[in-house]
Amino acid sequence: MNENENNFEPLRRLLALKRHETPPPGYFENFSGDVMAGIRAARREKSVSARLPEELPWLFRLLSAFEAKPAFAGVFAFSLCLLLVVGIVYAERPDAAPQSLLQTGQAGSPLAVATPANLGSMTVEQPDLVPLSSTNPVFNSQSAGPWFASGGASFQPVNFILPGN
Amino acid sequence: MIMAEPVPGNEPETSAPESEADLVRGARRGDLQAYDQLVKRYQERIYATIYHMTSNHEDANDLAQESFIKAFQALKSFKGGSSFYTWLYRIAVNKTINFLKQRKNRLHMSLNDIDFNAEHDPDVMALISEQTPRRAAGLTELQEKLNAALMKLSEPHRLVVVMHDVQGLSHEEIAEAMDCNVGTVRSRLFYARQQLQGYLADYLKPT
Repeated sequence: MNENENNFEPLRRLLALKRHETPPPGYFENFSGDVMAGIRAARREKSVSARLPEELPWLFRLLSAFEAKPAFAGVFAFSLCLLLVVGIVYAERPDAAPQSLLQTGQAGSPLAVATPANLGSMTVEQPDLVPLSSTNPVFNSQSAGPWFASGGASFQPVNFILPGN
Repeated sequence: MIMAEPVPGNEPETSAPESEADLVRGARRGDLQAYDQLVKRYQERIYATIYHMTSNHEDANDLAQESFIKAFQALKSFKGGSSFYTWLYRIAVNKTINFLKQRKNRLHMSLNDIDFNAEHDPDVMALISEQTPRRAAGLTELQEKLNAALMKLSEPHRLVVVMHDVQGLSHEEIAEAMDCNVGTVRSRLFYARQQLQGYLADYLKPT
């Protein structure tokens, strides 16, 4: 082996030149700082991806499902597009929504809208549907019929005269 | 500044303000200051190995940084079976070899300047002495030819030459770093030197 080493001595001398190839001055002064910056950047990047499963598990599961099954992602995207198109088409018919709501109200639904215009008729035909809210300014005396008629009770207005007046 | 440094393991650990084991423990806990010390301790050797493998400063810079970042992220898997430097060296070498395989045939050299110490190195001066067959060759030309010849070698052969003849590592240390036996290191070194001698025949003076 020593003979071999001697045969390669000129080559080893030439290779010694490689030891004198040095990076620009000051290069190593910034090197560790760059490495630390890279580690911090990698930590931030990792922390965002690591927080996702904890803070938004449903989103993480959804994204995982998308990754695992591309077809599922396609179906999901198609559904969203369909919903968007239906929404746009429906929004372009401004009379559609109010009419349908009024129709359901006139059909005697419990969800009927009580407006001053139809309140009177509602009380006659469907007294139970009169809003009993204290904020309702309209009080129909006929609606009190069923409450007091059975006992034959009568009532009349009472005037209080305060002493000194 | 000479890139070849004392062989790891032979360094007097007692003179260090903090031992490697303490710094590694700190870094494993996420202490960036401890890891910063480790980076400063080994940055020149890791950079030099990668640079001599790639003959490109920019690539060596990127790969060296990535190696240190990857090592920090993988510190939890470091069991301490070998020295931290050997473990780090393996990461850097594997990263470099993967990079070279991906960039095969698309490599270009970006060489560092030769420092002024070269003019006082007797080995280097002998290269451009009167006895050199191509005595007109300057240091820069020699540098380019030498790097071009090294790049013709396969990665394992180049690595062995760089580690042994440029960085001064022993056969045993190279075997540990490359995860192969000493016999393989010796045979690769012999073959690589033979190849280089053929490529650089015009620039080698006979003994």
